[in-house]
Amino acid sequence: MSRHLAFSTSPLLASRTPVWRSKLLVALLALGFATLAARAAWVQVFGNAFFQRQGEVRFARTLELPASRGRILDRNGQLLAGSVPAPSIWAIPEDVPTDDARLAPLARLLGLPLPELRRRLADEDKTFVWLRRQVDEPVAQAIAALKLPGIHQRREYRREYPEGEAAAHVVGFTDVELRGLEGVERAFDAELSGRAGSRRVIKDRLGSVIESVGEATAPVDGRDLRLSIDSKIQYFAWQRLHQAVREHKAQAGSVVVLDVWTGELLALANVPSYGPQARASAGAALRNRALTDTFEPGSTMKPFIAALALQQGLVRPETVIQTAPGRITIGGSTISDAHAYGALTVAEIIQKSSNVGTVRMAMQLQPREMWELFVQLGFGQRPELAFPGAAAGRLRPHKGWRPIEQATMSYGYGLSVSLLQLARAYTVFARDGDLVPVTLLHQSGPQPGRRIFEPGHAAAVRGMLQRAAAPGGTGPKAQTIGYSVGGKTGTARKQEGKGYAERRYRGWFVGFAPVRAPRIVVAVMIDEPSAGAFYGGEVAAPVFSDTVQHALRVLGVPPDLAVQPRIVAQAVEESF
Amino acid sequence: MTRINLVLLLALVASALVLVRTQYESRRLFASLDRAHAEARRLETELGRLQLERRAQATPARIERLARERLRMAPATPAITQYVIDRPAAEGAR
Repeated sequence: MSRHLAFSTSPLLASRTPVWRSKLLVALLALGFATLAARAAWVQVFGNAFFQRQGEVRFARTLELPASRGRILDRNGQLLAGSVPAPSIWAIPEDVPTDDARLAPLARLLGLPLPELRRRLADEDKTFVWLRRQVDEPVAQAIAALKLPGIHQRREYRREYPEGEAAAHVVGFTDVELRGLEGVERAFDAELSGRAGSRRVIKDRLGSVIESVGEATAPVDGRDLRLSIDSKIQYFAWQRLHQAVREHKAQAGSVVVLDVWTGELLALANVPSYGPQARASAGAALRNRALTDTFEPGSTMKPFIAALALQQGLVRPETVIQTAPGRITIGGSTISDAHAYGALTVAEIIQKSSNVGTVRMAMQLQPREMWELFVQLGFGQRPELAFPGAAAGRLRPHKGWRPIEQATMSYGYGLSVSLLQLARAYTVFARDGDLVPVTLLHQSGPQPGRRIFEPGHAAAVRGMLQRAAAPGGTGPKAQTIGYSVGGKTGTARKQEGKGYAERRYRGWFVGFAPVRAPRIVVAVMIDEPSAGAFYGGEVAAPVFSDTVQHALRVLGVPPDLAVQPRIVAQAVEESF
Repeated sequence: MTRINLVLLLALVASALVLVRTQYESRRLFASLDRAHAEARRLETELGRLQLERRAQATPARIERLARERLRMAPATPAITQYVIDRPAAEGAR
C-alpha cells in the first residue's frame, strides 16, 4: 500500500506557497519575541521595584525584637519587680468550632462562663477578639494543648511584685502594656522600658527563618534599677505601721526612714496599702500619703526655731526664758501652753514643747530669717525626689506675714509639709547642720551636704531632742533598747476647710538614732487615731521606737547604750 | 579545543552544584542558629520568672511568718545579742 515518496518529489512542493504567508509568519514570530523582550524589560527594568516588593511581601518578614523591661531591685539586689511571660489569648471567631464539647474546656481554662465565651465569639464579622489578657504560663500551655482552631496566643509580659503590699507605694505598678502608672515604675519609666529593635528576615514555606536581610536594629533592654530601699526595713516598717493603725483604729498612717549619711530613702510605707495585682479596687489606698499629703508640722517645727536662735547668737542652750503664765498675747490673739511651766531653759522649752517659749524666741527673729530657713530646709518646695505627685506643701512669702502669723509658724501652724519633707529637714540635726537631697536610687557612699547650721548648734539641738524623747519629755515611748534616740512629737487637730476639726487628730513623731552619730532619721505619722489615744507620743512614738531598733540592727549599727543582757545560760547549754 | 570546553563545562556544573549545596547548608545553619537564639531568649525569660518566684518564696513577710510559726523564733534585740567586735576590721576602718 505504502509507496516510497522522496521529499524532493513530494507533490506538495509542486503547489506554490504565496510569499506573504511566510512573511506573515516571520512577522508574527518576531512580534512574539518582541513582546517577550518588552515584558522582560518591563519586569526587569521599569517595574523592578514593584516586583521586588511583591516578592518580599511573600517571603520577607519584619520581626519585632521586643526589649525586656528592666527589673527593680532593692539596695541589696533583692527583686522588687520583674517581668514574667503572660501570654494573651485571642481568637478569630469564624474559625472557632461551636460545639460545647470543645468550647467547655476552653471556657474553664479561661475562667469565663461558657455563655460569656459564646457571646464574645458570636460576632463573626470581627477577625480579632481578645479572650483574656495575660494568663499564667501554665494556663496558656494547657490552652495550646487543646489545639482548637482559631484560638491564638500573643506573647506578652506581666510585672510581678514579690513584696506585694509592703512596697506597693514605692514600686508602683504598670498597665497591661507595661507602661508605668505609679511609683518608681512611673518615675523611671523611660529607663526601665528600653527600646524594641527589629530585623528583616526571609522565611521559608514552613515559616522558619533562613536568612536575615540588611541591618538588624538590636533591641535595647530596659535598665535594671537599684533603689535605695532596703526590703527588710521596708517590710518591717510597713508591718509595724499597719499594726499601729489597726490598734489605734486610725484612718491611715505613713512612715519614712532615711539614711543620714547618704540621703537615701531606706523605707517609705503607707497604710492603707494595696496589692499591686488587685489595684483596681484600691481607690484612696493608691495615694502615697507620705509624699502627697501635707499637714501643719506643729511642735516638730520648734527645734528649727531653737537652732536658728542659737545660730543667730540670740540664745544659748542654757539661756532661761520666762514662759509664765503659760500664755502670750500677740496682735490680739493668745497663744497658750498645755501647762504653765514658768522659767525654762531653751533646752527645756524643746523638751517640754512649750509654745510660749518658742514664740518668745521666734519674735526676736526677723520674718525673712525664718522664711529663708524654711526655704533652705525645703519647705514649700517640690522635693528633688523624682516621684509622681510629690507635694510641695505651703509656705507663704515672708513679706505678707503678720506678727501673729510669724508666731504661729514658729510652732508649726500656718505652713504645711509632707512627712518626707519633715524627715528630710530633720537630717539637718542628724548630719551636723547640713542637708542632703533625698534620693530613691542606691548611692555608693556618703554624700556632701549644704550647710545650714553650725555643727555645734546641730549637736546642741540633738541633745535637746534626746531629752524630748526621754522620760520627762513628750515622747518617752520612742525609747529603744540599746540605742539612744532623739526626736520630737507632734499632735494637731486636722484642718477642715478654714478651721480645725473638733475631734479629729493627727499624731506624729520624727527623730533620729543613735544620738551621738546618727545613722537614720525616722518619721511616723498616724492619721485620725480613734481608739482613745491620739498624741504623737502615744500613737506614733512606739512605731518609731520599733522601726529604729529593727533598722539599726539590719544596718549593723552596734548599740551605743549599755544593755542589761538577758542571754539565758540555759539556752546556751541547750544549743550545744 | 572541544575537550577543554567540555572539561570547563563539567567544572562549571560541579561548581554550580556546590554553590547550591552551600546556599542550602547556610540557610539550614541560619535557621538552627535562629532557633538557638529563640531558645536562649526563652531560657532567659524563664530564669527571670524563676528568680521572681524564688524571691516571692523568700520575702521578709514569709520568712518572718515561718520563723515565728514553724521554728518558734523571736526577733533579736540588743538585750539578747552578744556583740563581738572584729578588732582588725575595726582598726582598718579607722
